[in-house]
Amino acid sequence: MASLTDKQGTGVAYQIPRNSLALLMVSQVVVILPLIVHISPWIVGVWAICGYWRTQVYRGRWGYAAGWVKTLMVIGSIVGIALSGYKSFSLEAATSLLVLAFSLKLVEMKNRRDAYLVIYLSYFLIATAFLFDQTIAVAAYELLAAVVVTAAMVGMNQLQTRVRPVASLWVAAGLIFQALPLTLVLFLLFPRVAPLWSIPLPSSVSTGISDRLTPGDVANLSQSDELAFRAVFDGEPPQQRDLYWRGLVYSEFAFGTWAIAEPLDPLPEQVDAPVGLSYEVFLEPTQSKWLFALDTPVSYAARLDLLADYRMVSPEPVLSVMRYRVTSDTGYLMDHELSPAMLARETQLWRDDNPRLREYARDLYARTGSVEGMIEAMHRRIREQDYSYTLSPPVLERVNSIDQFWFDTRRGFCTHYAGAMTYALRSVDIPARMVGGYQGGEFNPATGHLVVRQYDAHAWVEVWLPERGWTRYDPTAAVAPARIDRGLNAALSNEDRAALSFLASARMGEGGLVTGMLQFVDSLEHRWNLWVVGYDAAAQADVLKGMLGKVTPARIGIAMGIGGGASLLLVAAAILYRRRPQQRHPVERVFSGFCRAMARQGLPRQSGETPGAYVQRLAGRAQLDAEGLRTRLQALLYDPEATADRAARRQIRRELRKLRFMLAFRTAGNAS
Amino acid sequence: MTPNSTQTLTSLSSTTTPEALPGGKVHAREHIEALEAALNRVLLGKEQQVKLALACIFARGHLLIEDLPGMGKTLLSHALAQVLGLSYNRIQFTSDVLPSDIIGATIFDRDSNAFRFVEGPLFAQVVLADEINRATPKSQSALLEAMEERQVTSDGESRPLPEPFFVIATQNPSTQAGTFPLPESQLDRFLMRIELGYPEPAAERELLLSGDRREIVAELEPIIDLDQLRGLQGAVEAIKVSEPLVDYVQRLIAFTRQGNEFAFGLSPRGALALLQSAKAWALLHHRTHVVPEDVQAVLPSVVEHRLRESADFAGHGGGALAQRLLGSVDVVS
Repeated sequence: MASLTDKQGTGVAYQIPRNSLALLMVSQVVVILPLIVHISPWIVGVWAICGYWRTQVYRGRWGYAAGWVKTLMVIGSIVGIALSGYKSFSLEAATSLLVLAFSLKLVEMKNRRDAYLVIYLSYFLIATAFLFDQTIAVAAYELLAAVVVTAAMVGMNQLQTRVRPVASLWVAAGLIFQALPLTLVLFLLFPRVAPLWSIPLPSSVSTGISDRLTPGDVANLSQSDELAFRAVFDGEPPQQRDLYWRGLVYSEFAFGTWAIAEPLDPLPEQVDAPVGLSYEVFLEPTQSKWLFALDTPVSYAARLDLLADYRMVSPEPVLSVMRYRVTSDTGYLMDHELSPAMLARETQLWRDDNPRLREYARDLYARTGSVEGMIEAMHRRIREQDYSYTLSPPVLERVNSIDQFWFDTRRGFCTHYAGAMTYALRSVDIPARMVGGYQGGEFNPATGHLVVRQYDAHAWVEVWLPERGWTRYDPTAAVAPARIDRGLNAALSNEDRAALSFLASARMGEGGLVTGMLQFVDSLEHRWNLWVVGYDAAAQADVLKGMLGKVTPARIGIAMGIGGGASLLLVAAAILYRRRPQQRHPVERVFSGFCRAMARQGLPRQSGETPGAYVQRLAGRAQLDAEGLRTRLQALLYDPEATADRAARRQIRRELRKLRFMLAFRTAGNAS
Repeated sequence: MTPNSTQTLTSLSSTTTPEALPGGKVHAREHIEALEAALNRVLLGKEQQVKLALACIFARGHLLIEDLPGMGKTLLSHALAQVLGLSYNRIQFTSDVLPSDIIGATIFDRDSNAFRFVEGPLFAQVVLADEINRATPKSQSALLEAMEERQVTSDGESRPLPEPFFVIATQNPSTQAGTFPLPESQLDRFLMRIELGYPEPAAERELLLSGDRREIVAELEPIIDLDQLRGLQGAVEAIKVSEPLVDYVQRLIAFTRQGNEFAFGLSPRGALALLQSAKAWALLHHRTHVVPEDVQAVLPSVVEHRLRESADFAGHGGGALAQRLLGSVDVVS
């Protein structure tokens, strides 16, 4: 068979052991698995083909791929990635290419060197998975994956005749376990350097809130139970109905779609001492820049910005869990005066549509004579007429969609109501805008933090009033007061509730025991975010300052040296303690002590040397007759009937010590 | 077996404890020295091998002697049978020996007009299986089954072999032509494997001058009787073993099981064989307990044929392994 002849003349020793080949292929599957959702699906097929090919090579059925076949495969792969529809060379495209190359390596994996390459690539893929997801579940999975990959490496170094995959796994688990203390030290102390290059953004669209809202298109608002963020309040948390997490401000409307207006310059930073509600937010990755805060943020980290429409943004997209601290002042007055540009912007309606609503608004404003009165009248209309709150509203036309909702269908969710009110106000030149974000959330009883999920997404209205600035009004409260007071679950109709997934309803407290378990898992994830994911450069700087006083590279280096050394010593001590000789016999203990002392004196006992032979050898050196000692020692050690009481032990210890002193004296005497 | 000898067997089962052997130690010492002297007179310059062979007999084990032809293998085994006062048969194995040639066969007796079992050469207290690895595996296994069960089955009828029953097998080095190497499972049934080796020049000179040793063997008188042999075997059982020594034996066994240079480790039977042989060695040196020196003395003979280097696919290169074992395993923990 051509496949088995070795062109490079590598011997048996350079081939991949069978044990390790199986583990290698398993570890490939294990490390590719979490990436499957992020890569092009056809790559999985390529991996399967390569895996089958390598198996056939192993069984001696097929040969290794010829050079031109491999070249074709590489070219085909690059073309395949190019045709897979990635807009730019994004993280997904890069990962796809990496996984593809990793799969193709399988076909030419011939000797040990190739296998080691595959192993190192496997570690790299483990790290890659964290670019997409950093949850505790992924971390636990990747830890196991690391064990499997390490086991493959252990298998590489085993003899052909000892095929023990399970034993390899145990060895690998032990190695990883021993590495944990050092990992901890490095995690705590290793400087978190700012990246030299940045990764292209994952192009996946995030669920939940987006920067464009078209309520008319949504026939069935999917209620994702995905986590939006967690928040921890410093003091007493506010009431559920006051938890309006402001995120986006929609100031433009056209063709039934609300959109964010052109960004304005950030507001100058607040300098005076903040008073108000302090809390910390752990925002899940959104791939966007917007952040969420309660009205109105007055104090926040310097790297964050507060835009002119009072929404907080991060300088770069949130790709991993982001931790930020905010103080909000509920009594703060937003925009005492409205600049002409701002006024134009917030009363703008690009098209002259929805004639019925415009007519209605003009009439209403004329009748009530005040903004507050008009809003109250609209609220009353919602309450008194047959408006209803539903997650599955009828689809609306693009043009005049608000007319259609307000006068005909009268069924909708928050965006429908907020949109209608904003449009009505703008049509009579009152500055108004729609604000999107989250409302409410659930408190986890285990840790006391607030959990906000995608189904808590909400939209409401802000109206600018003289002397009061931007004021929040929520028309949804008129149609479904329970939604605001007690959360979404209370506002749902039976029909809507039936459409929820089991998990979503369990999260809302309908699951009994399951709810409790989910809350427990949530508290675990929160702690993970708090201590591990949230341990960023800023948190590290605090820790380092507390530990070192002044943070200098030299001090960090010393701390890492000490910490690393201590952790390695800890592992070494644990191993030594586990392997300590177990001496059950008291005389053996005495004799071992003697042997150690003699070894220090330069006359160690050979490992195969029996006590009798050793004593005789030493006695010969010291020109002593130790026959009596030898016999007694041997009897005490090996005759179960000899009395090895305290006196006998003391006697033998004395004799051994005498022999040792004689030897020290003799050798010293000879040397001089 | 005669009814008489079964009676001695039952009476002896109670005499295996040292208390039941008043003055047994003194007799044992005399017997051992006399046995060694007689055997050393036959086999010149092979004191160590003679001692090992005696230890093997006292430990109730079968003995495998491996060496080139003409080194005195047959002589040693015959002399052993003589001095111990045991009946002796020799089977020369060749490639065409059949199991019935060893065990015996049922033949038709014309006088009594009935079938009669004619006992084969296996029915003796000491059986010398000469050049065992020249026989086919089929015949080898007939013998090896007898060694383990101490009985043979022919035509559906089990027949006990004489008591005691020792097999002393000799084999030529497996590298020689026309040999069927014994499989590991059968090698394991031999308590010890010894090699005789070339004699020392002085011993060889004496041999050359004094002529054929076989005459001396024929003249050898039994030195001990069956009861005394059983007494010695009982004395081996009574040798005491201390905790540190068992620890040492366990470390030796563990080393063979964990070390990468060993294709496989020692079996529990191998471990028992090692301890049993060490006890017999202690008896030969007139001790009541085993010391590590005893273990080290018998270890090569006991383990070499049970071990194989993992890199050694063809033969049994256990010799270097035994030396490694002795050198690497610490006597004292």
